[in-house]
Amino acid sequence: MSGVESVFDFALAGLLLMLAIGALHAPRLYVCVMLFIAFGLVLALTWARLGAPDLALAEAAIGAGLTGVLMLGMLARSPQEVMEVSRRVLSRGNLAVWALSGLVLVMLSQVLWRGVSGLLDGPVLLPDMAAHHQEQTGVDHPVTAVLLNYRAWDTLLELVVLLLALLGVRQVRLSRERFPAPWPLLLAWTRVLVPLTVLVGGYVLWRGAFAPGGAFQAGAVLAAGAVALRLCQVLPPIRWQQLWVRALIVGGLMIFLLVGLVSAGWRGGWLAYPSAWAGTMILLIEVAAALSIATILTLLVVGEDEELWP
Amino acid sequence: MNYAVISLLIPLLTALMLLVTRSRNGWWVIGSSTLSLSSAAVALQSVMHGGSQWLNLGDWESPLAIRFHLMPVSALLLVFTALIHLLVSIYAERSRHSQTKRTDFWPLASLLHAGLAALWLSNDLFNWYVTLELLGLVSVALVTISGPKAYGPALRYLLLSLAASLFYLLGVAVLYGRYGVLDLAVLAELTDAGPTTRLALVLMTLGLMLKAACWPLHLWLPPAHASAPTAVSALLSALVVKGPLFILWMLWSRVAPSELAVQAGPLLALAGIMALIFGGWSALRAPYIKTLVAYSTVAQLGYALLALGLLLYWQKPELHVALWLFVLAHGLAKVSMFLAAGEMQGALGSKRVRGLKGATQTMPVAMFAFAVAGGSLIGLPPSGGFLAKWVLLRELLLQPVHWPWAAGVLLGTLISAAYVFRVVTLAFDRANPTRPSYDPDRFAQWLALLPAILVWGMALISRPLIEWLTGVTA
Amino acid sequence: MTLTYLATGAVLWLLGLHALLVQRQVLRQIIAINVMGSGVFMVMVALATRGTSTDPILHALVVTGLVVAVSATAFALRLALPVIKASRSSAKSSRAVEPKL
Repeated sequence: MSGVESVFDFALAGLLLMLAIGALHAPRLYVCVMLFIAFGLVLALTWARLGAPDLALAEAAIGAGLTGVLMLGMLARSPQEVMEVSRRVLSRGNLAVWALSGLVLVMLSQVLWRGVSGLLDGPVLLPDMAAHHQEQTGVDHPVTAVLLNYRAWDTLLELVVLLLALLGVRQVRLSRERFPAPWPLLLAWTRVLVPLTVLVGGYVLWRGAFAPGGAFQAGAVLAAGAVALRLCQVLPPIRWQQLWVRALIVGGLMIFLLVGLVSAGWRGGWLAYPSAWAGTMILLIEVAAALSIATILTLLVVGEDEELWP
Repeated sequence: MNYAVISLLIPLLTALMLLVTRSRNGWWVIGSSTLSLSSAAVALQSVMHGGSQWLNLGDWESPLAIRFHLMPVSALLLVFTALIHLLVSIYAERSRHSQTKRTDFWPLASLLHAGLAALWLSNDLFNWYVTLELLGLVSVALVTISGPKAYGPALRYLLLSLAASLFYLLGVAVLYGRYGVLDLAVLAELTDAGPTTRLALVLMTLGLMLKAACWPLHLWLPPAHASAPTAVSALLSALVVKGPLFILWMLWSRVAPSELAVQAGPLLALAGIMALIFGGWSALRAPYIKTLVAYSTVAQLGYALLALGLLLYWQKPELHVALWLFVLAHGLAKVSMFLAAGEMQGALGSKRVRGLKGATQTMPVAMFAFAVAGGSLIGLPPSGGFLAKWVLLRELLLQPVHWPWAAGVLLGTLISAAYVFRVVTLAFDRANPTRPSYDPDRFAQWLALLPAILVWGMALISRPLIEWLTGVTA
Repeated sequence: MTLTYLATGAVLWLLGLHALLVQRQVLRQIIAINVMGSGVFMVMVALATRGTSTDPILHALVVTGLVVAVSATAFALRLALPVIKASRSSAKSSRAVEPKL
């Protein structure tokens, strides 16, 4: 490893740690959220540096982007006092807590370090096995093969988790809020950008078969377009009451399960796609999943009571 | 094996169907629980005859892909989960006081059922992380059904559950880094007692103990379980806390090298005793009925933790039986107690324990169910609770060295007797009883009694049950 | 390189945990949990760089983990809002304290 690279690594790691400390302990909540978003973006850069472009895409779209938007949305709705500088950080009683917890932190980090530093020379077994079976999976990109072949069950359950987040959000009723009237320039920009997000989303989805990308990243990009349109009130409210909305939300899981059942009936193995059809089946699952993810994420960000309930 | 998978898929498909059609008809869930129960029973039957079975999902080689492992214990838990869901759905559909009308209870309960079934069948460390998150989110969503007063406890539950998952996940990452596999059965043959394994096990244990509300990480449980709708409280106490306990058991009895297990055993057992004493004490002092029942869950989990700790400490396979008997007996008794408590507080119009004054006169069946279930929690013979305690005590009393542990169990028993009798004596105080605001619902009360009768019925099959469990868990 | 990021991940996890324990505001606690999560993910991605090629299994696990994290965060934020509002209105006269962990 060259010297320049390790300087870059140290700089990146240091930047991440500073942003994290800022996001956790800045006196103003607004600053915290901003620093957290910046943290997410630097994290995406780090994933790229570590040879994980799939994660860089997912982090930028889902981690930094959506989480950031959700947090900003919450700040905007919070009572004014929440935004004030918290003075408690500096009080004397807290100082003792801080000193004590800092000490514990240092001790813990040593324990953690002893355990973690032994990991450098652990065996690397599964990647070779994964590469060995790559041809039978029906896709060329190893990460997609893991997500939709070897560990398809995880992915299915993860769609359930996403659905549950929406169902959970549905239970919590909030007083009604109005969107501010859209700003003309925003409106104009959105009209230009949204077709692009559809294009990019579709491309990312299709690319997932042989290169970094896939359903989650595509779903997040599509959701970003839908959220922008909704905020500009170009898009009518997406209501849970509408059958097509519910069908889209549940569709990803439904198709996934149906493919599992069909394959069980056909070849006698749960989620074992017949090899001639594997590519097509995976694409089918991914399209349905991306649409589900996009709808759920959109509703999570812009969903108001009237849209979510009943 | 296929029947086990069907038992998992039925509730999942039912939930999706309910969501698409926006149906709020509980009969769908009752039907699907019945189907799931019968298919789980077939799976149990096949395991009893043929031994444990594997299913490689997607037909990939084993350490690479996820595979399901149907063991006798997991088949038993599948049946148990479906049975409890069936009972609770009938209650929720029929009772006026279930607080689940016009809500998303039905799809959420079905998803909970599917999530639990997925957890019992899984054999993969990361897949367990996903199922744990699934269970956490669905439980919190179920708690929030009861409206704004539950939001605070629900939020606390959610945040702690997320933090606990991240403890667990870091442990998984460390184990994967050290051994290169996620499959539990493969991992079990590789582990050594080095500092890395130790770190991973500590992290995972802390996370799982927090999720299972083991003392001293239990403080989130009573407010969350007490503020949920009655049907939900029953499901959470009877089933959800058992999920992380199952993983904890698998981890320590399969993966952990015996040197580490021997070291960790006494600590877990001590936490169990503390849970018994402090959980029981809090239940004794709880002002509200459902808080009392929720604290009794914390206390009763102490028994399971004690059995787990001692079985690791002494490496005694007999204690596996005690652990699972506790889980089954507690689950049934707790459903009964929560349903009875919910019926009584609904009909008598008071959430306070004092409101139960004279309940033997006004709501005899519900109070009887509460007392009978309480009897099993105390461990009165010949209930299921007694059976579990007897298996545990038999080991403890054999050698005088173990008597201090037996004293702890005895103290826990006395405290549980105290909090059950606190309610029962009040209910027998017929001088000036609280008048019910509604006509008590007979059917719901009998329904609350049913699991309590089942738990006492465990005694009838005690001998084959213990023998079979000894055979399959050793 | 692996070691640097492994250590950074572990430290991020600890920083998040620390903040979760000392901070009292719900939003800060939610951020803390997210930072903890990022720490675990970084440990996993750093571990993925060990072999000759990167480990696709760990990458896939992190994608799954990210989606789980954003789902949970969305739910927690939604739940936090009425809780904050309720605690403000109930404790307006005295020092407003949010429900703590």
